[in-house]
Amino acid sequence: MDFTRSLTTRIVLNAMVLICVAVLAFPLVWIVMMALKQQSDVMAWPPSFVFTPTMDNFRVLFDAAQAGATSYGTIKVDFLKPVINSVVIALGAVVVSLIAGVPAGYVLARRDIPYKEDIAFFILGFRFAPVLLVVIPLFSLFQSLGLYDTYIGMIWVYQVVTLPMIVWLTRSYVEDIPKDIEEAAAIDGAKPFRVVLHIVLPLLKPGLIGASLLVFLLAWHNFALGLMLSSTKAPVTVALLKLLNPGIQFYPVMAAGLVVTMIVPVILIVIGQRHLERGLTFGAVK
Amino acid sequence: MSSQALKPIVPVAAEGPGACASSGSDSLEGRSIDWFSLAIILPAVLILFGFLLLFFYGVYQSLTDLRLGRPIAKFVGFANFIALGRTADFWNSVRVTVTYALSSVVMEALLGLAVAKLFASGVFMARALRPVILLPLVLPPMSVALMWTTMMNPQSGIMNYLLSLIGLAPFAWISDTRTALLSVIMIDVWTYTPFFALIIFAGLQGITDDIREAARINGGKAWATFVNIELPLVAPHILIAAIFRLIESLNQFDIIFGTTQGGPGNSTSALSVQAYITAFQNLTFGRGAALMVVNWLIVLIGAFFTVKLWRAVRRRVQ
Repeated sequence: MDFTRSLTTRIVLNAMVLICVAVLAFPLVWIVMMALKQQSDVMAWPPSFVFTPTMDNFRVLFDAAQAGATSYGTIKVDFLKPVINSVVIALGAVVVSLIAGVPAGYVLARRDIPYKEDIAFFILGFRFAPVLLVVIPLFSLFQSLGLYDTYIGMIWVYQVVTLPMIVWLTRSYVEDIPKDIEEAAAIDGAKPFRVVLHIVLPLLKPGLIGASLLVFLLAWHNFALGLMLSSTKAPVTVALLKLLNPGIQFYPVMAAGLVVTMIVPVILIVIGQRHLERGLTFGAVK
Repeated sequence: MSSQALKPIVPVAAEGPGACASSGSDSLEGRSIDWFSLAIILPAVLILFGFLLLFFYGVYQSLTDLRLGRPIAKFVGFANFIALGRTADFWNSVRVTVTYALSSVVMEALLGLAVAKLFASGVFMARALRPVILLPLVLPPMSVALMWTTMMNPQSGIMNYLLSLIGLAPFAWISDTRTALLSVIMIDVWTYTPFFALIIFAGLQGITDDIREAARINGGKAWATFVNIELPLVAPHILIAAIFRLIESLNQFDIIFGTTQGGPGNSTSALSVQAYITAFQNLTFGRGAALMVVNWLIVLIGAFFTVKLWRAVRRRVQ
């Protein structure tokens, strides 16, 4: 209905959108700038918007050989390991969730099993799980099972975040595929398993890729589980918080760490904006 | 785990026999599919069922005097809860949790509605820049928390510089007991207003031009159309987003822990943060579990009333 608006209205609306976008994007731009500044530039008052960029903060972050030595002090940091931990845990969690969750999502969409809706809601309920109430008993259990601070233990416990999401997203994507296609193939004499493998799965592929991106993102976000159930296998979010402790003079190094944790999600937006939007509002919008 | 998660325990346990009974009357083919499907769904249900057992174990622990490093825990009934109820810190945590959740959800709903309406206007910038709305939602909450911690630093932070540009005095942000809670709420609002905006935007897209046209022909001004037609139609969307956000912000841990760890003093010590400190720093696991049980009960009560409100509004709209 753009054409019914006057020119002034349109200019005002565009300007308001720009203000809104600036509020959302400015903190990120500022942090990226901070990560590229010399320490003296970061400490300067008033804050400067013009500076010569440096990669020194990133070097401090990843250069274990120099043990975090800077011209203004030493920060004990090994950021590469937490990044690897996060990638391993998040990828592992996604793979396990896909294996257990996709078939379950299909069954919940298509097959007639007793208490189907109850099971579906039981699974969705975990989106609201009070994580700490599960972690407190899990802590002693993990200690006695030898799962504390292991990838296997972390991947299992991450299922509380990733599995319900995969099940529900798969279910909703399967429901989007017209039932006729499967029925037609079944009439042609194809076995149910072959129908799923050769007809449903290829149609489901884009949705599953999107769901995997989203679930990887949720695993990447997680902080509380890693904080309480791991130490050397701690994810990047936990390592990030540790960068805060050395004090304000190390803010530029922390900003570099922030940029590292934020790059992954921003790349994921670029790859799969449509799927992320569906996933992030999932449950509230079909 | 909300009430929904608890209800189906019986059905899940009765899964096997239930399948038996119903498949008896079905055709042979129906029966075989049933069993196969159940087998397929079983791993996912079992993994999650493990968490449900842990949850109940956690509730049980809240009734014991479990401490880390002490092998035997004694059952103490409601002693943890009674002891908590006697401390001012506990009631402070309840107040912080509820204030944090309610004020952020209300502000996010109002701002989200405004942002959604703005982007639904369909002007050039709105169409081109819509993906930016997603930005705060895809960042790890811990990164968001630390990002704002650096920006809200009272001495060197950019926020006070921006305030000084428009002639305002420096603000203490998260470093003062009087302003810390407001500051963390602002961080929550920045992060999750886009969540409301996306959902309300989807709701606004669902209103057809016919409906708006009809309102216009009947002589409705833009504002009247919005209040009388659009707002009632998107109200269920706003409320369902509110249910999701209310539950998550009552459980909020990352943003508060990343910025203030409950301080300064106990001005931002929400129940989840207090539970973490009680369990993992003071090593009194039973007491920590009790705090989480209280937190969970507040979530249940909050979710119950919001769902009720949502149902009522939806019925009225239809």
